[in-house]
Amino acid sequence: MKSMKLEIVTPNGLIYDGEAKMVTLPGKEGEFGVLPEHASLVSLLDAGVITVETSAGKEIMVAINQGYVKVDEGKVSCIVDGAVLISDEDGQLAERMSEAKELLKKAQTSDMVIATAVSKVESIKKSY
Amino acid sequence: MASLKDIKRKIKSVKGTQKTTHAMKLVSSAKLKRAEELAKRSKVYAQKITEMIQEIAQQIAKYGNVNNNIYFKTIENPSVVDIVFVTADKGLCGGFNSQTIKEVNRLKDEWEAKGATVRLRAIGKKGIAYYRFNQIEMLDEIDGLSASPSYEEASKFIKACVDDYIAGKTEKVIVIHNGYVNMITQEIRVDNLMPVDPIAISNEAELSPSELELEPDDDDTLLEALVHKYLEYIMFYALIDSLAGEHGARMQAMDAATTNAKEMVKSLSVKYNKARQEAITTELIEIISGVESLK
Repeated sequence: MKSMKLEIVTPNGLIYDGEAKMVTLPGKEGEFGVLPEHASLVSLLDAGVITVETSAGKEIMVAINQGYVKVDEGKVSCIVDGAVLISDEDGQLAERMSEAKELLKKAQTSDMVIATAVSKVESIKKSY
Repeated sequence: MASLKDIKRKIKSVKGTQKTTHAMKLVSSAKLKRAEELAKRSKVYAQKITEMIQEIAQQIAKYGNVNNNIYFKTIENPSVVDIVFVTADKGLCGGFNSQTIKEVNRLKDEWEAKGATVRLRAIGKKGIAYYRFNQIEMLDEIDGLSASPSYEEASKFIKACVDDYIAGKTEKVIVIHNGYVNMITQEIRVDNLMPVDPIAISNEAELSPSELELEPDDDDTLLEALVHKYLEYIMFYALIDSLAGEHGARMQAMDAATTNAKEMVKSLSVKYNKARQEAITTELIEIISGVESLK
């Protein structure tokens, strides 16, 4: 299966850089998924959770507040104001999750969007 | 020949200076580390957002007339050019500030020779002081920002530029700062901020063959927000980069000053010892000749 490059960048540095099979992004106009060879697209991103299916088949979640995404055939680049990678690799899942929730709560967007994103973060716990 | 007392006093004063310069070097190297870290982290973001803007500009250029978009249109002979420049708030950092000012003057002359009106927007005390002294008018000045860059302040500052640009009061905005390369080198960086030039960006970047879609699709909101973000960030990055450069330059200047002071103390000590020896010899001769004459 084909894969594409994904980059998530914040003013504090590169959060994620790697290959992905599928990416789901929280667009301003609604959530949307991107597969490799997607047509070029630029979109505003709202606060929410980016779900990444890596080429190894693993699922990764990244909480973000607002930003932009630029998609083209082989590459997805997200430029966001703040992001937290939620992973349990170093056994700090709980810590990362509270960080993510904090980030989302601070985002300047409607309460509904924040609530949806936070509940999504909370649901991650169950899947791990 | 200076008297013994004078030399002694001078040695003391040079030693005092040496202490100051040494302390300043230590302070700068500590601050440099922090600024360097910040600059490194922000660099990726600055690069990415620049890349993105340029790709979008190219896309627009491919499918439509760039001149329709205020941010990307090309202006052949701008009649008003705004130069934004960043200098330090403090001196004692070698040629750091004067290099920037020199470049500002060069560009100013260049554009004025082409018949454009140049307006200066200054950030940092040193640059402001220079142009005040030379009685050259500045449109906007702000100090305190280069010593502690804040994103809000930077975006407020650049917003004034952008507003003028959109209102048609200026047709080109250039940002000049002395950026950090490594601990011992700085480099003057000149960014043509507005209009965003899609052609300047090399054709290396592989363009995707499909037409660009925008979402939300009233393209003004998205592009405007993105371009503003880009401009703000470039401004902010210029400040961070300049701060790192400043500390690097100061560290180096103060290191050189400390070494010089050390050498000076050395040569003054030699002088002092010679003078002391001379005085002793003279005194001895006087005593001996006094004794001799009594015989």
